[in-house]
Amino acid sequence: MKKQATTSYKAKKRTVNILVHVLLAVLAVIWVFPIAWVVMISFRSEKGSYTSSFLPKSFTLDNYKKLFTDTTILNFPKMFMNTLIIAIIVCIISTLFVLAVSYCMSRLRFKMRKKYMNIAMILGLFPGFMSMIAVYYILKAVGLSEGSMIRVALIMVYSAGSGLGFYIAKGFFDTIPKALDEAAFLDGATKFQVFTKVTIPLSKPIIVYTVLTSFLGPWLDFIFAKVICRANADYYTVAIGLWRMLEKEYIDNWYTCFAAGAVCISIPIAILFIYMQRYYVEGLTGAVKG
Amino acid sequence: MRKGKKALALLMAATMTMGLGACGSKENEGDKSTPTPADSGNQGDSTEKKDVTLTVWGPSEDQNAEQGNWLPTMCEKFNEAHPEWNITFKYGVCPEGDAGAMVSQDPTASADVYMFANDQIMTLINANAITKLGGETADYVKSTNSEAIVNSVSVDGSVYGVPFTTNTWFMYYNKSIFSEDDVKNLDTMVSKGKVAFPLSDSWYFASFYVANGCTLFEDGFNEAAGIDFAGDKAVAVTNYLIDLVANPNFINDADGAGMAGLRDGSIGAIFSGSWNFNSVKEALGDNFGAVELPSITINGEAKQMKAFAGSKAIAVNPNCKDPQVAVALAKYLGSPEAQQSHYTSRSVVPCNTELLAQDSVKNDALVIAQNNTFDNTSIIQPFVSAMNVYWDAAVNMANGIINGDVTHDNAAEMTDSMNAAMNNNGL
Repeated sequence: MKKQATTSYKAKKRTVNILVHVLLAVLAVIWVFPIAWVVMISFRSEKGSYTSSFLPKSFTLDNYKKLFTDTTILNFPKMFMNTLIIAIIVCIISTLFVLAVSYCMSRLRFKMRKKYMNIAMILGLFPGFMSMIAVYYILKAVGLSEGSMIRVALIMVYSAGSGLGFYIAKGFFDTIPKALDEAAFLDGATKFQVFTKVTIPLSKPIIVYTVLTSFLGPWLDFIFAKVICRANADYYTVAIGLWRMLEKEYIDNWYTCFAAGAVCISIPIAILFIYMQRYYVEGLTGAVKG
Repeated sequence: MRKGKKALALLMAATMTMGLGACGSKENEGDKSTPTPADSGNQGDSTEKKDVTLTVWGPSEDQNAEQGNWLPTMCEKFNEAHPEWNITFKYGVCPEGDAGAMVSQDPTASADVYMFANDQIMTLINANAITKLGGETADYVKSTNSEAIVNSVSVDGSVYGVPFTTNTWFMYYNKSIFSEDDVKNLDTMVSKGKVAFPLSDSWYFASFYVANGCTLFEDGFNEAAGIDFAGDKAVAVTNYLIDLVANPNFINDADGAGMAGLRDGSIGAIFSGSWNFNSVKEALGDNFGAVELPSITINGEAKQMKAFAGSKAIAVNPNCKDPQVAVALAKYLGSPEAQQSHYTSRSVVPCNTELLAQDSVKNDALVIAQNNTFDNTSIIQPFVSAMNVYWDAAVNMANGIINGDVTHDNAAEMTDSMNAAMNNNGL
């Protein structure tokens, strides 16, 4: 009697597991398939934006070769480098901003703190591109809308407002016991030392998160790059380049290269994530001992 | 706290230095593009050379060494032809179709001379980004182009650009599938082989309605007249399209389906423009055919389809510092010499009437197809502001016909609501 009950429980559990896994497998296929398809298209040797067969008939590396060598109309390597430089600098600046603001909001007590957080919250609710034309005219007034200053302008646009995104990091800092800070203060540490020697080492997961999001912002942005670069093709970013490839004059020749480009832009993100991933695991382990 | 401030100050200082560094490199760049003065004394003594800097915007194909580097070559030739000016050119990339958005974003910081598609003309005028051409240049435009082309760059009788090519779409077909007689009628064609037509693109969609007497702003210029896609003539076209879409030999050309079909031979004809000429030529080889639009049979009568046509032209920015030089350059870029070179390097079909009369140009299949379409089977694409409403209303109707929402039963009703949507001024 008892045994039968266990088997039926086991059987039930198994069927549930099977159902769940089938569902997950289906979802995984649905989710992964578009990506796999783009990768496949990037190796397709038939030209054009449309093929009658779903799977490519033959494969080639020419699309990648063309993407990086045929630079006369759409200079992808240059766009790639432009974007990479901008994204790396923005990543550093805005990570610093976000962590500094979060630390202040979490640990310091000052008059406007609550009000400031509310203001930041409300400002953050507005879409950034709402102000794009205003931003363009301000940059032009300061003389940042021409020539190589465009890079500086883009870096400023992407990093300037990043301090507003402190909420998640602040929430994380709040979970680090204040006792740790106090212990350090007793040993004579300054606030800055507490931040760099105590808080930062304990907050690796959130730093990883901040680094990734602040890299992805400029790496994938289209609107600001388009508004600020305008006709200066030398300073185009990959997003503009990929968009251009799909215009009616280019799409027939460049569609497979577009897919190759899409695969290429995912590489730096993947590298950054794989490198950063290990810090996710470490986190708070071994922080608070007795 | 205090240390934090110091760090901030340091950061700001670092940012500023970075800015300065970048500033320096910009100046160097400017130096590089300055051409060295060609004359070393003899010529320059009599008249003093005027230094001029002109910014010129055009599509990237025109600034591509492999495709003849048309724009920089022509600009340098212009500089040589005018010893009184010492011009430094700066180039920017802006496809003709984007000029409306890109130049009007900030006309004061845009090109002095740029290329634009004529449907952008109202946007540019409203943004004060385009100059009326007067005197000699306007006379030149009027005397060397057909009337339709002159009208395409004129508003209220004033000429706004120097046209250099026509811009329209026509039919490419596979000669092994359709004969020269077949391509005269679309219904004959779909009875013999597969035809792809981009019905869900509103640039192409209107051609059927215009065929049966529907009009847009009368002749295209009378904004008050509105769009007339109503009544029996329009309902007849809707009914015709419902049958056409139901024909298994008709394919709606979306996402490049037509081009792919032309490559593998499953589709015999597509509707496209000169931008796809090289791809089609490669796909069809000896069977390549290009021709003006076919007619369609509505209620037993053959009606000629009519494409939207326009032109691409060169404009001068009213904010430029040396309008005299800029206008002269615009005129030069639209001259027969420049059009000839554009045609040789990139197969851009010329529109200068003298050039079109030349044998080498006259007998080119692409030129014939594009110009016959322009002359015989097209209407000038209206560019009055009220036209903006047309595009979405047309797409909605086309999609309704393709996915079966529009049937013979509700054709009249749906046509009426399309016409209402097209004339909706938003108030």
